Amino acid sequence: MSCGVVDEEEFCRCCRLLLQHSNGVGDGWSWEAVRGSDEGYLKKTLLRSVPAERSVPQKHKEPGSDSEKFDYCHLQTEEQEKQGVDASSDSLRPDAEEEDDGVCGAPAGSSSVLQFEYHILYSCSYRTPVLYFRASTLEGRSLTLEDVWRTVHPNYRLGLQSRPLDAITQQEHPFLGQAFFYLHPCRTEEFMKPLLQMARDQNRQVNYVLSWLSVVGPMVGLEVSLECLKQQQLHPTTPQQLRVPLRGSIQQPKTL
Amino acid sequence: MADDKDVLRDVWFGRIPTCFTLNPDEVTEREAEPYYLLLPRVSYLPLVTDKVKKHFLKVMRTEDVEEMWFEHEGTPLKWHYPIGVLFDFHASNTVLPWSITVHFKNFPDVDLLHCPTNSMVEAHFMSSIKEADALKHKSQVVNDMQKKDHKQLWMGLQNDKFDQFWAMNRKLMEYPTEEGGFRYIPFRIYQTTNDRPFIQRLFRPVSTEGNPHTLFDLLKEMCPDALTKDGEEKRFQVVIHGIEPLLETPLQWLSEHLSHPDNFLHICIIPAPTD
Repeated sequence: MSCGVVDEEEFCRCCRLLLQHSNGVGDGWSWEAVRGSDEGYLKKTLLRSVPAERSVPQKHKEPGSDSEKFDYCHLQTEEQEKQGVDASSDSLRPDAEEEDDGVCGAPAGSSSVLQFEYHILYSCSYRTPVLYFRASTLEGRSLTLEDVWRTVHPNYRLGLQSRPLDAITQQEHPFLGQAFFYLHPCRTEEFMKPLLQMARDQNRQVNYVLSWLSVVGPMVGLEVSLECLKQQQLHPTTPQQLRVPLRGSIQQPKTL
Repeated sequence: MADDKDVLRDVWFGRIPTCFTLNPDEVTEREAEPYYLLLPRVSYLPLVTDKVKKHFLKVMRTEDVEEMWFEHEGTPLKWHYPIGVLFDFHASNTVLPWSITVHFKNFPDVDLLHCPTNSMVEAHFMSSIKEADALKHKSQVVNDMQKKDHKQLWMGLQNDKFDQFWAMNRKLMEYPTEEGGFRYIPFRIYQTTNDRPFIQRLFRPVSTEGNPHTLFDLLKEMCPDALTKDGEEKRFQVVIHGIEPLLETPLQWLSEHLSHPDNFLHICIIPAPTD
């Protein structure tokens, strides 16, 4: 773990801790075992409210095109994002679906609700966790890659798009064989290294999976609840300490 | 060794005679004739089916045409798998030519990745090469390459240029002699008996005692049920590039010679023909 990666055993241990806590506060994570093997993955389903004009594609553009890159006018504001986070972290109900109702309580007509399904898998090739996700409308229509880009906050979008291989792409889910989106793991080791080093310098224990998730999750709408980050046994640091330097580095793709 | 070089060529130039027919439910202005092609085993469907698309579009109206996708006997074909793997896994023991149905509507977006342009294939291909090198050399070789070197690998594949591809790919096949092989062997095992699409785990080319691991060792560890036990009738075939390699073949040799251009060794476990 010292050099930015995590072995599979430690990955599973981190997942167990995360689950224990999640079960306690109703954060909605569950462990999905893969039939006929000792492997599995963490899963969470979330309803997210997205401004209507953003969730229903009006026009089709290449995600990397300039017009798309700087088209911020319909993007979710920081304020709306925060409301979403607070609503989910305040809720202590164990039922994930119920908890999510709080997130999508926006006035009818101004926004539409999308269902996001997030999976955390272990990549033995890169020895890091990998975030897979898919999204659909409540009517069951799958979101395309362009639709998904539209839901990404502009601060993250530029960084993600400037490095094609790090960006969000479609990929086959290694356990389900179905089409998912994922964040390419080949740079994960690089951005986890300074984080782990910092923790080591301060003699802090770090839950690799949770720390990693607090970096990559928000890029695709998965905020790590503050409760979760505050939990000493999971992550003995305050959220502010953890997040400020990380966010800074995420927004500067050259240093990633 | 000259013989081993020939193996690389044989693998690269492997072809599968294929007959494309239009899905009968598509709306056409007149009857669509089938289209025949020799498909390169090591390539990907979107790279070699421009002519197929053009052929069928001639009988269709633009408004009836959505993203093209392929299917064999009811199974959507995953374009991001090498063509040879699709054939070995789905159609090994069927008659030639391989019969593929072409669709222009009802894209199965749960099962298939979208492929709007060939740059998607490139991204996928390069991503596989990167992953393979993460396993083989901790990404050192691929990271030391320049952008033009990556392009050379891709262009070699896209344009079917064996020499261009291998002039660069041989770097990805190097390893320190004293170690006897790569760090780990990049492989994927596809099984018809399994829900998951493939098995991919860490496996070293050399045992802790220093003996070369064989294909048998790999299968014993990953999917022991695929092996024929003593006195038992053979239930499965272990197929790579359309052949059944001897199970005592060293895995390192297989990785160097029978890997696809994406640098993974794709191994198909399929039911043995009963007759």
